[in-house]
Amino acid sequence: MVARLALTAAALFATCPPTPASEPGFALRCAKILTCDEDDTIVNRGMILLRGDKIEYIGKPVEVPAGYRELDLGAVWASPGMVELHAHVVGPGFDINDMVYPVNADLSTRPSITPSNSLMRMGTAAGVTTMFLIPGSGTSMGGFGVLFKPKIDAGYEECVLRDPGGMKAAQNYNPQRGAGDVGAGWSGLSWLMEEANNRAAAAFAQGRDDFGLRNLIRVHAGELPVLIHCASAEGVANTVRMWKVRYGTKCVVSHGSWDGYKAAGFAAKHGVPVNHGPRTMDYSRFFRSGRVVGGAAEYTAAGVPLFSLNTDSPVVPQEELFLQGSMSARLGADAYQMLRALTTHPAQSILVGDRVGSLEVGKDADIVLSSGDPLDPRSRVEVVFIDGEIQYSRQDDGQWF
Amino acid sequence: MISAASIALAASLLAGPDTPAPAEPASPGVPGEPGGPGLAILCAKALTCAEDAMVVDRAVLLVRDGRIEAVGERGELEVPEGYAIEDHGDLWVMPGMVDLHCHVGGTFDINDMVYQANPGLRVNTAVRPGNPALMMGLAAGVTTVLFIPGSGTAVGGQGVLIKTAPGAYEDILVRQPGSLKTAQGNNPKAHLLGCGPALYNWHIRDIFFRGRAYHRAWEAFEAGEGPEPARDITLDVFRDLNRGDAQVSSHTQQHAVVQSTMRIQVREFGIPTFIDHGSMDAFRGADLVAELDVPAILGPRSASWRSIGRGYDHDGRMMGIAAEYQARGHKRIGFNTDSPVIPQETLQLQAGMAVRYGLDDRGMDSVRGLTIVPAEAAGIGHRVGSLEVGKDADVLVLTGHPGDPRTSVERVYVDGRSVYDAEEERLW
Repeated sequence: MVARLALTAAALFATCPPTPASEPGFALRCAKILTCDEDDTIVNRGMILLRGDKIEYIGKPVEVPAGYRELDLGAVWASPGMVELHAHVVGPGFDINDMVYPVNADLSTRPSITPSNSLMRMGTAAGVTTMFLIPGSGTSMGGFGVLFKPKIDAGYEECVLRDPGGMKAAQNYNPQRGAGDVGAGWSGLSWLMEEANNRAAAAFAQGRDDFGLRNLIRVHAGELPVLIHCASAEGVANTVRMWKVRYGTKCVVSHGSWDGYKAAGFAAKHGVPVNHGPRTMDYSRFFRSGRVVGGAAEYTAAGVPLFSLNTDSPVVPQEELFLQGSMSARLGADAYQMLRALTTHPAQSILVGDRVGSLEVGKDADIVLSSGDPLDPRSRVEVVFIDGEIQYSRQDDGQWF
Repeated sequence: MISAASIALAASLLAGPDTPAPAEPASPGVPGEPGGPGLAILCAKALTCAEDAMVVDRAVLLVRDGRIEAVGERGELEVPEGYAIEDHGDLWVMPGMVDLHCHVGGTFDINDMVYQANPGLRVNTAVRPGNPALMMGLAAGVTTVLFIPGSGTAVGGQGVLIKTAPGAYEDILVRQPGSLKTAQGNNPKAHLLGCGPALYNWHIRDIFFRGRAYHRAWEAFEAGEGPEPARDITLDVFRDLNRGDAQVSSHTQQHAVVQSTMRIQVREFGIPTFIDHGSMDAFRGADLVAELDVPAILGPRSASWRSIGRGYDHDGRMMGIAAEYQARGHKRIGFNTDSPVIPQETLQLQAGMAVRYGLDDRGMDSVRGLTIVPAEAAGIGHRVGSLEVGKDADVLVLTGHPGDPRTSVERVYVDGRSVYDAEEERLW
């Protein structure tokens, strides 16, 4: 019986070509490839080979392997698909802010996600290929978000990069409205958050299970990251103090708006990544000294290790994530670092840097081909690949945005 | 700002009678400014926005008495003796930008909704020269604005064309009246107890009709063919409009509104008109606008998309408004901010995003739309909007194409006067 099976298998393999037809390849000719790898490699007049859902080759043009589809759109630039860590475009209802208790560590955005919804599609067509779809900030712990690849007309299972992707917590202002019948001040909110953290940390240390805190325990185990909504210098400092200094979690400061950059040195000292936006400038100083301060310039100058940008979509439309980079460069940040702020930095911050964020052999084939520099609004996105498949093609689909 | 001239004067006063005079007395005044010696600005590329020579590489720009004296290529155009030379190396220059929909020229109380038609109201009484919002615009290269009333009524009043550089009102004034502002669509509907398109358009026609009669009565009197009419300050602006000395800036943002603007203001009354605040689905009427040669100044919204309850369904796509005007054969496309709706300092982004949303920029329409198109629409194309001989020396020195937000404006001259220098103090 075993022998017969083996024989059948051998016969089958003999008739199959070496490259299974179910794993198509692409050969992309590009005028410029911005890889965003560790060496900042930029390839002029290069080629990318995709096989299945991975990148197989990047470099000077080679002979297109048999069976690969060649894509030559003229002078296009290739850059990594962008990674958005603060997205709420889950679907038409936006019902991701269940403010049941002041802390809701066991909730998840999973049931609210409508894949390929109209807002998400715009983001995909603009080159956003990974989204962290997170709960709202109405309570101190909103629950867990999903790391999602927004494929066009695909089902949920085909799009999930990691579920749970990580936790969403919130400091200052917003949770004050959902923290109880009469609201609460910052000290009360901190106490509530710390109380939950203490329970989870203790459960982890003692190897105990706790149904309501199961995912938060994984945060304390360092398996999952936590993204913390905070604004202003005090908010950023409180976040770093609680989540990094006290509990040592893999935390990411998100928003960090208003004058949050004043705590940039403290975040940098403790190696906490910052995911900045939707507001990337501080006007408050303008009225005192007549000058607008760019948040990105300040955070990067302070040496924050992984600085990234977000839209808080739909607050800023998902398709304008790139513009957060351009405008940050306008306000004084280094333009190339702002490309990293949209690609490698957010990917590494949320612990998926081994899969997405840069164009390297073996990584997911999430690629944007544009008519020019991806940070220049005059450039048009020509083709977007996710997992080696074309999701959007301006030529075939018409321009969506 | 302390000018070099005043420093020189102070120095000579301090020096006293015994100090020998400087060996080479510089001609009085600052190079480029009125009364001063000439100034030569050297750069890698000049986007002149002139009809025949849009781009001049390795350019020389000669400025004298606050005006542009010559533009040419290095080697072909000599710098005359005695001119101060400013070599900007790899930087580019272009004309100062013109925003025809600005509400930040002064105090914000510019929406007196007395009647549906208020042609006598003038916002020039609210101008605050050099206010912080204008200064931010200036630092981003916006040197001329049409400061206009709000759109709370069908005829909001008279706008004023001013420069954004600091100075007295008389120094920065380009033209008064700058325009007569009209508005249709949702905003004037909210006036008093509410009002529909039929009524607010009746108000527009009624006041235009009376204004034309007033103008004709004065024309007759001045030709010795009629009695002297009684002066009416509510209708005076119609003399400027009917003579072609001012335009109607028409807040025209929807398809139906485009048609009434063209029908009433352009066809029936023949008043020079430009579309301002061209947004939403107004592009559906763009072929008519193109046929009547009416400039379209677009913004603050750069794209039209499906909006719940409005019914602009574009099959899930966003439509670039400028691109759609262009696709219908319209050629006079400009951009506005409606500041502070879009901050005054991001006018350039309106052009950049128009290209992203599909505007064909091979003819540099994005740059023209920030400069010469709005200048000509407002009837001040002979003074601003391009780097051409005899025009005001409103010049930007910048690091690249204005449509790219990463481009930084390094230096701004208005009337040959250096009014912003990012090296001294960067505002953004």
